Amino acid sequence: MLYNLVHSVLREAVSINGYGLFSFLLFFGFFIGVLIWAFRLKKNYLSHMGDLPLKSGERPENSTDPIQSENL
Amino acid sequence: MNVETFKYDNRIVRAFAIATVVWGIVGMLVGLLAAVQLFFPEANLNFQFITFGRIRPLHTNAVIFAFIGNGMFMGIYYSLQRLCKARMFSDFLSWFNFWGWQLIIVSAALTLPLGFTTSKEYAELEWPIDIAIAVAWVAFSVNLFGTIAKRREKHLYVAIWFFIATAITIAVLHITNSMEMPAGWLKSYSMYAGVQDALVQWWYGHNAVAFFLTTPYLGLMYYFLPKAANRPVFSYRLSIIHFWALVFLYIWAGPHHLLYSALPDWAQSLGMVFSLMLIAPSWGGMLNGLLTLRGAWDKVRQDPVLKFMVVAVTAYGMSTLEGPLLSIKTVNSLSHYTDWTIAHVHVGAMGWNGFLTFSMLYYLFPRLYRTNLWSTKLANYHFWIGLLGMMFYCIPIYVAGVTEGLMWKQFNKEGFLQYPNFLETIVQVVPMFKLRAVGGTLYLVGTLLMVYNLYKTAKAGKFEPDTEAQAAPLDKAGAAHGQPGWHRLLEGKPLFFTVLTAVAVLIGGIVEIIPMFLIKQNVPTISSVKPYTPLEVLGRDIYIREGCLGCHSQMIRPFRSETERYGEYSKAGEFVYDHPFLWGSERKGPDLAREGGRYPDAWHFNHMDDPRSTSPGSIMPRYSWLLTQKMETDALPSRLSALRKVGVPYPAGFENGPAQKDLQAQADKVVANLKQGSITAEPDKEIVALIAYLQRLGTDIKSAPATAAN
Repeated sequence: MLYNLVHSVLREAVSINGYGLFSFLLFFGFFIGVLIWAFRLKKNYLSHMGDLPLKSGERPENSTDPIQSENL
Repeated sequence: MNVETFKYDNRIVRAFAIATVVWGIVGMLVGLLAAVQLFFPEANLNFQFITFGRIRPLHTNAVIFAFIGNGMFMGIYYSLQRLCKARMFSDFLSWFNFWGWQLIIVSAALTLPLGFTTSKEYAELEWPIDIAIAVAWVAFSVNLFGTIAKRREKHLYVAIWFFIATAITIAVLHITNSMEMPAGWLKSYSMYAGVQDALVQWWYGHNAVAFFLTTPYLGLMYYFLPKAANRPVFSYRLSIIHFWALVFLYIWAGPHHLLYSALPDWAQSLGMVFSLMLIAPSWGGMLNGLLTLRGAWDKVRQDPVLKFMVVAVTAYGMSTLEGPLLSIKTVNSLSHYTDWTIAHVHVGAMGWNGFLTFSMLYYLFPRLYRTNLWSTKLANYHFWIGLLGMMFYCIPIYVAGVTEGLMWKQFNKEGFLQYPNFLETIVQVVPMFKLRAVGGTLYLVGTLLMVYNLYKTAKAGKFEPDTEAQAAPLDKAGAAHGQPGWHRLLEGKPLFFTVLTAVAVLIGGIVEIIPMFLIKQNVPTISSVKPYTPLEVLGRDIYIREGCLGCHSQMIRPFRSETERYGEYSKAGEFVYDHPFLWGSERKGPDLAREGGRYPDAWHFNHMDDPRSTSPGSIMPRYSWLLTQKMETDALPSRLSALRKVGVPYPAGFENGPAQKDLQAQADKVVANLKQGSITAEPDKEIVALIAYLQRLGTDIKSAPATAAN
């Protein structure tokens, strides 16, 4: 039943030649959405996120590593 | 403020690090052995278990799943704990993941040389191991999501998104591509046939590269590069765009592995266009990585960790530019089936994955053992020897690839093929194969230097099994950063985020794969194409076991240079009973799609016994064991029954008697043919079945071409 329904929709309603356009528009819409999203993000949030790898939470006394000690 | 004290688990990181190093050496050694056999076929010592066709998949599996796989887990188990400010969700699951993965690798190392293979590239392991992979992967995923759930840092850093995308997509890819019907404990047939099998396989194959070799390593790049450079990533905004564009686009590009094949044109075009679009996010990621080092290039000069990272990120950029270019149909018409593809993947594997893994190892060992790296000088030697090895590997193979492509297509003034004998083209590139082995040796030597350096580092320090850390619990830390935004809300809810990632990933797969299965016009039927006979089924299984498709394609593309050389181009309808499809991806020997009837049976017998007796200069190994080993007639009923279950129309009960008689009659015929060539052979030997299969290839369409429908 469902198989036949999907089958007929794909065969008749959506031409296989329209797939290229359909796919491109799908991605284009998605991409624009992500762009808008990314550019609306607040600067303090972005800098907090960028700093996350540098804050491991390790205690300075546990670290002999100069890089890790700097980060704390 | 309420601060909790907890401990990061370093034992699991060390275990994966050691496994990475050990399997890395094994994978490279096997690769070297395979490389040597390409100019010195006798290097297999006439021993079937280490012959090229069987160890090529062993090399690819060892490097991808054992070396890079363990490297990936090593990096994830280290970075995830620190990014989540929490110990792994379950130590039991961590170790289950570790030992399960090593067991899978050992199983692969045993079964592949023994010839147990599904033949699908990077998915060669047989069904019981497939199930084990799924179980180990679930353990890893539960541990990943469990750790995310108990994190003390509200926000999920971009590296974790890449890990989430990896966990979900690999599960989907593995399950979909491993749908197979068992025909014994270590034998199965793909549920899909021909064109559909090809599409699913390369949808998997391409995305295994994407989501096993790329996304987890991008996550690791976004963690370890800022750590090593001690500065935040250049643009966090760009990393968001990089992630979403990459996970959305990658999955569509699989059909670029099947350009000019019998795959429907719409699927090929879709694959090509999306591959080209992939350049944008990939280069966004590369630039983000390299620009993170702006103002820190003085450190790159001194720190081997950063040196390896710079080359890794550059190699990522190079191979992700080259990949889309190779997906352009005209470029692909020259590059496909040649060594160009091999060079391309090695820039990725040796440069991107290899060098990033080395950089992580050099970063982690001093930290795990609380000491300094034993010798920076030795690490620098490793860097230069490894880089030189990569150059010596890749440049000759690029030259070989272009040479092969041009020679295959070259016509003389009279309009005939300039090099009608395939052998002429392969003999021409043998010197390049030798140089490639030199490059591989250098790369291995560099890795051995690293092993010594890491060993000395470990000896000099004291291993810290747990690292103590402190952080505030989630609710208080979460309140600290201003108003919630869209994306902040999203990555603050890992489950919702995971679902969105899955949707982004799945759209491409669904759009490509569903119509392929539902629309009949994609595979026009040819009435003269019939199922293989029982003897041919056994012969085909031997072809699969020996890994013949590692060097011989079965897909004639619609170019004059190919139809002149091999015969009529391949049609989708010719493969409807091919479980699995055997189109191959590489030609070290000629295409075999229309091999049937080209040579007498006696020629094949002599050629298998000693290829150089019929084709002087050939680099094909001897298959003399086929002349003495008995074919597996006992397995015939279970195999025919499994094939019927996946849709091959053998009559009911055929396997219980008629099949054996049919097999006997055809075997006797082959033996009689061989006798005419003054060869005495017994009808129960494997060579008889293989000859029957080879003589069948591509002949159906010749018998009644006028009946072709559509």
